[in-house]
Amino acid sequence: MSINRADFTRRDALKLAAGAAAAGLGMPWTLGSAIAQQSATLRAGISGFNVINTLDPMKATLIPEFYVIYGAFNALLKFNAKMELVPDLAESFKVVNPTTLEFKLRKGVKFQDGSDFTADDVKFTLERVTDEKNAAPNRGKVAAIETIQIADPYTIRLVTKAPFAPLLNYLTNTRTATQIVSRTALKSMGDEAFGRRPVGTGPYIVKDWKSGESLELVAFPGTFSGAPKIARVMCPLIAEESSGMTAILGNQLDLTSTAPFADIASLEKRPEVKVLKQAGLNTRYIALNNKKGPFSDIHFRRAVSMAFDRNVLVKAVLFGEGVAIPGVLPPALWADPKPVFGEYVTYNPERARAELAKSAYKAGTEATMLVWGSNWWHRMGEIVAGQANQVLGTKITLQATDFNTAYSRAKAGDYDAMVMGWLGFVDPDEYLGEIVGSKGFRNIHAYSSPKMDALLERGRTELDPAKRKAIYREADMLVSDELPVLPCFCSNIHNLLRPNVKGFVQLPYSNFADQFGGMEVG
Amino acid sequence: MPTINLGPASRRLGGVLLIAFLGAALVFFVMRAGHGDPALAALGDQATPEAIAAFHKRWGLDAPLVVQFWRWLSGALVGNFGMSMTVAGGVPIAGLIGSRLPNTLFIGFYAMAIAVAISLVAGTVSALYHGRFIDSAATGIAVLGISMPDFWLSYVLVYLLALGAGIFPSYGFVSPGDSLAGALYSGFLPAFAIAAPMAASFTRILRTALIDTLYRDHVRVARSLGYSGAFVFVHYVFRNALIPYVTVLGLQVRYLLGGTVVVERIFGIPGIGALLVDAAFGRDYGLVQACALTFLICVLIVNFLVDLLCAALNPRAT
Repeated sequence: MSINRADFTRRDALKLAAGAAAAGLGMPWTLGSAIAQQSATLRAGISGFNVINTLDPMKATLIPEFYVIYGAFNALLKFNAKMELVPDLAESFKVVNPTTLEFKLRKGVKFQDGSDFTADDVKFTLERVTDEKNAAPNRGKVAAIETIQIADPYTIRLVTKAPFAPLLNYLTNTRTATQIVSRTALKSMGDEAFGRRPVGTGPYIVKDWKSGESLELVAFPGTFSGAPKIARVMCPLIAEESSGMTAILGNQLDLTSTAPFADIASLEKRPEVKVLKQAGLNTRYIALNNKKGPFSDIHFRRAVSMAFDRNVLVKAVLFGEGVAIPGVLPPALWADPKPVFGEYVTYNPERARAELAKSAYKAGTEATMLVWGSNWWHRMGEIVAGQANQVLGTKITLQATDFNTAYSRAKAGDYDAMVMGWLGFVDPDEYLGEIVGSKGFRNIHAYSSPKMDALLERGRTELDPAKRKAIYREADMLVSDELPVLPCFCSNIHNLLRPNVKGFVQLPYSNFADQFGGMEVG
Repeated sequence: MPTINLGPASRRLGGVLLIAFLGAALVFFVMRAGHGDPALAALGDQATPEAIAAFHKRWGLDAPLVVQFWRWLSGALVGNFGMSMTVAGGVPIAGLIGSRLPNTLFIGFYAMAIAVAISLVAGTVSALYHGRFIDSAATGIAVLGISMPDFWLSYVLVYLLALGAGIFPSYGFVSPGDSLAGALYSGFLPAFAIAAPMAASFTRILRTALIDTLYRDHVRVARSLGYSGAFVFVHYVFRNALIPYVTVLGLQVRYLLGGTVVVERIFGIPGIGALLVDAAFGRDYGLVQACALTFLICVLIVNFLVDLLCAALNPRAT
């Protein structure tokens, strides 16, 4: 009896394995929910990310959240392929006076729940973001709005306390929280439910969402920009960028949101995928604790900055997919391919050692650099610390952790240096103002410079684009002089497409679902 | 007919509950002792101190740790694990685990079945022909199998069998609930990647145990009584050799649950390992605790079953 049982185990196991093999090789297979193969479906992989916590524009903070929000919503304005501001839900807009903007709204626009879009929804959306009780992460972008006047159901005026130059950029369908939500839908659903099944005016409705797995979008034929050609979009959330790449190479996807830097060169040679790339709106730097030694010493900061070669970083970290920068502004923001590199942001070992001699901190100084995230962030830290130690004889060591730990420590002032970066912002104030402004919420460096603050204040209130550009250029030069952070590089952004996919226009702020409405799968 | 003595088993059950409690407490307090804040994950870097305070209040994170633990425990005891904070805002944790666990268990059992199938054949053959070419070949392949990291093997399998030969999908997984055939097909590469190192170590254990048993006195006696080689092998050798084999199988199950995280990520399998990693990065405390507890209970159940199985195979031990 017991002998038979032992025997049974073996036979059973063999049968199981044989069954598995037969099923694997012979059975017809219908692809499951996450990835499907019909041509009426676009398979758009969100690669490199797998957490989407909310799809409520007011609460969203993560770039993959906005990837989807872009397609479900519209804002008053948007960027065209040349990154020029153009009307979206607004029909037109004009600057009435330096503190008043007037928008004429499109008529006949429907929300995805069938309700009409009017000025009331715009007012509701913006007041929801500015209301302190709602603690909207992007509140600062619209907090300058003092009153919202509805002249008639299709005319709305925004009045600010003082001239606020970034406001137009902050009313676009980018990472702004100003995507227009339906008041009726939000009120009837409640905040939490709306965050899972948002209702906007955009070309795609979020039909299903399995947390950490995939989203299913279906076309909204009543969208004002014209019925989408693709009926359904599946967006699997793919944690590993390299898996997104193998998925599209194996024809499991039609489009990805990113691609691994290291593989771009080889992907560009393969016929089964098309690589879209351009200089991205992002900035990567080494954040420094300006309040604590050794990086409280400007000479030490300058010495380290001159001790590493930014072009080496671009080659070794990005495999050439980016450019070195002297400050924190991405060159793509100004469409300026040739930023000016001052002395302190140019690799020069001799000058670096001479600068170290002026510092209170000498060779042998110890400091810790926090690194987190995917391995290119680690490599970035390794090269900066390694080159600095080699040139200056310092002892900068790396400590690997996760972003939540690193950022919490940085906010508490419990760090020396850390690798850092931001992605997808469209106004210079989001970079300079937030990173090096004394009140900027990305200023984890305890850096405070009256000169910088004065420049940033002028930048916020200067409405003439040419003058505004000159102000931020000056502020960025101040960054390369005082080095509250060590500027490193901007990376290219990438999308991979199957050759039969048409109509995706890549924009430098890392757009995604906003393009689905105009796409076709041949 | 061997009887299974349930006395030790019920004592074990008490031990299982105690270990589950201690494990849950450990995970809870270790998570809270580290740096990081779920408010940062949920609200982003732009959150004001007031917004962070409101978030902490909303989720009860402002209460003393012991109170928080008690709240969690009293919920968990009746199967209420609360809502996810930062990974799937406002979604019940029990539902998240319920939808993910079957995928992880499926891939685990699938990998185990492949590993057992390979090792039973390879282990038996190399024991019967030990010292000859076929044995050296099997042992050599086993060493290779043990040395291959699963993530590397995953990519090799994808490049050879998915992108190269086009037999399997290069990415994606069909839940067994949607289609069993689809799950067996789309899960083959990940299951095989997990199974290969296990199959290698199982093969070596079985081979050693079989060879060891082949030269025992009772086997020699049985042979001298004139029983056929096959009969002696099945009845006197194989059954004895199964005891260490089953024990090692049980130990490997822990690896199956926790160690599949990397493979889950590479192939996009929505499993519980990947969920635990996301939860830990997002400081989704309740979700981390629920995932860890699920792992713990699964491992304890398997250990318990392995003990019962070993007792059944070897009644002398009880």
